[in-house]
Amino acid sequence: MGLWLEPNSNGRTYCSSLSCNFRNLPQVQLRSRIVDTPISNRRTEMTMERQQREEEKKPQTSENDKDEKVVQFLDSLNDYLTLMDSLSSALRQGWLELASARHSMGSWRINSAILDHKFHSASTTLQLSSPDDSNYNMKQPHFTLRKWESCDDEDFQSKEVKLDEDEVQKNSDDVQVQKERSKTLLVFGALVSPKLRDAQLSFETALETLVDIANRRSVMLSAYDHVREEILGTKQ
Amino acid sequence: MRAPIATNNSALIAMIADEDTVTGFLMAGVGNVDLRRKTNYLIVDSKTTVKAIEDAFKEFTTREDIAIVLISQYVANMIRFLVDRYNKPVPAILEIPSKDHPYDPAQDSVLSRVKHLFSTESVASGRR
Repeated sequence: MGLWLEPNSNGRTYCSSLSCNFRNLPQVQLRSRIVDTPISNRRTEMTMERQQREEEKKPQTSENDKDEKVVQFLDSLNDYLTLMDSLSSALRQGWLELASARHSMGSWRINSAILDHKFHSASTTLQLSSPDDSNYNMKQPHFTLRKWESCDDEDFQSKEVKLDEDEVQKNSDDVQVQKERSKTLLVFGALVSPKLRDAQLSFETALETLVDIANRRSVMLSAYDHVREEILGTKQ
Repeated sequence: MRAPIATNNSALIAMIADEDTVTGFLMAGVGNVDLRRKTNYLIVDSKTTVKAIEDAFKEFTTREDIAIVLISQYVANMIRFLVDRYNKPVPAILEIPSKDHPYDPAQDSVLSRVKHLFSTESVASGRR
């Protein structure tokens, strides 16, 4: 007749039967029912404690990951809303300056009817890239604004040759940008109100903000998908 | 696993907005007219029909050379079912304010998608 010491799920020791070899198990308290007494086998106790500690660590690590994802989502959401406020301010400024220019130049000179409908390419475009997110299978797009890019290839080549003269290149870039800006306003006439030029700058600022908003939107939606996956995974 | 996003070095910005907004952004250089005289913008006024707005939205969201579509929020409300149903990463749909209709976070389709994690009241109330 042997003695079984079987720790059950609660870590308690169940004495399944009594043994006559009491000398071999001096620390066992012989009782006929389940008790919360110290386990005689210290190795078993230590193993169980170690297992418990490891099980406690696993939820903590996954909890930290979840918290990080939630924080990322909330940060991107906050940035998105803050940038929308900035966009509203920039657009309000632009509309006000446009209205002022229309007032000084006349509404017949600033309206949609005189917009250029001949073939022309956009001077301000976007560079769309997809940075690889190694942690997840989904890829989020990244937008980069490219303002006032010249369509003339010869200008690009001349810029590459003057790489060693940074200031000269910078000045040439500024001149090129100013030329592109003036060329766009030629639709409204040769002489335009300074307010119209100010409106152009305000809308350029709004455009930069919009590209930031688009990037924040991508990050926010990606973070939201990750958080939702974690929540759905937890529920299952 | 979603399909990878195609890169593009000279993607366009499309606009569906009122005259002043479109004019302003055209001054910033985003206007594009192709050989078929197709533009990357639609000016919405009192005579513009909902069908025309829907067609423009569908066209801009299916063109491969467009990366961002700007749409005034009050115009987006006219085709809200279409905007909310759209869930592709590119082109990105951005709802912008207009002169007479300030931006309302509670109506933004992107925020509507993520509202399940919290209520839109808590998002909108702190921003007013």
